[in-house]
Amino acid sequence: MPVPQQLARGDRMGRGPYEKSGLIEDTGLPPGKTVKERFDIMYPLTEVEESGKTVNKPSAYDLDVEVKLWYLPFGTPNGDPFLWREFSKTVSISKSGK
Amino acid sequence: MRRITARGALVALLMGVLATPCFAEKAGIGWKETIAAKSGKAKTLAELAKMYDSSSCVECHQEQHEQSQKSIHSRSIFGTARTAMTIMTTIENGLMEEPYSGVKSPKDVKVEHLMGCAKCHLPQLRDAEDSVAQELVSTLYSWKDAKKKKDKEAVAKYEEKLKSVSINCLICHNRNAITHKWQDGYPKAGVVYGSKGGDHPADKFPKMAESPIMSEAIQCGQCHGLGPNLELDEPTQCCTSYGSYLWAYKAEVGQQSCQDCHMKKSKLGHNIQGYRDTAMTDKAVDFNVEAFGYHWRDGAQIAPKAVVKVEMVNRSGHSIPDG
Repeated sequence: MPVPQQLARGDRMGRGPYEKSGLIEDTGLPPGKTVKERFDIMYPLTEVEESGKTVNKPSAYDLDVEVKLWYLPFGTPNGDPFLWREFSKTVSISKSGK
Repeated sequence: MRRITARGALVALLMGVLATPCFAEKAGIGWKETIAAKSGKAKTLAELAKMYDSSSCVECHQEQHEQSQKSIHSRSIFGTARTAMTIMTTIENGLMEEPYSGVKSPKDVKVEHLMGCAKCHLPQLRDAEDSVAQELVSTLYSWKDAKKKKDKEAVAKYEEKLKSVSINCLICHNRNAITHKWQDGYPKAGVVYGSKGGDHPADKFPKMAESPIMSEAIQCGQCHGLGPNLELDEPTQCCTSYGSYLWAYKAEVGQQSCQDCHMKKSKLGHNIQGYRDTAMTDKAVDFNVEAFGYHWRDGAQIAPKAVVKVEMVNRSGHSIPDG
């Protein structure tokens, strides 16, 4: 979203059209440019006893991943949010191995 | 006796001056042929609606009419109600708080005060007297009051009045059909501007003329903004999509016009839409996600994780979101 500057001065964001003038930054998707996002999500671990040792083991081997691209006209999910795109996949890791 | 006659003549002359449309002279040639100059400034909202009444277009252009009625242009002052509310916020949080605006209460609001909103939401307000600004403001507050009282009948009545003026056929196909008026001439009353010239079988609009900008992005750019409206005494800013189009899209990406995507490729025609229609949103953004898991090792510690890689490309001609 183009983040408007308040009255075209300083470091404050403007809200209503009467005080918006200029931009501080644009957090939106620029035309024709590839925008990449990366998320690293750690599996939950629990401590278990194994051969007399305390080790961390995943408490789940499958993670349901959901990625949603939202447009929030009022800047908050509470105000008329628009779901633009979504993706879901169950990501699994192996249960055996060294 | 002679003195009385002279005074009578003076009064008659003064009356004549007052009855003349109150438009400031313009430097260019032909502005007196515009709808506004010929009609004189509207004194009421109904007069303004009549000045740019496009109901006679419907008979022959039914399809375009039905399309345009689905677009928010057809209720540009009311919007989704958000526009109506924002105009009142602008009066209260903007104009009434600005020490030099001359507005202490909504009753002080004049046409000039509203042009920050009306430049785009009702450009023809420029062709109206301050009494119309007052009528518009009082209607907005009456609507708000009726909503608060849950008076459905009154709400509908005021909504209807607010929707009586809008960005209709004649705003795009006449009033705002020419941006470079010294080069191309002022838009004339009785002429519908579009893709070709010739006769037009309509009593009030017997001629067609080619608008040099009807399929150009600047036609939409008149409202869908460059940034602050610096021509105003108190600049306002709403959407900035035309600025983004020029400097981010045209400069580096492509050559499509607003009309190419929003009217032609979308097949929406005069139902000009943005993110509210899947015909636009489906094509606007490529969204590819890759997700996988593995046993990551933090030293001796096993710390499995899922990696999610998202790649997005905005295929539109401006930043998303914008408007």
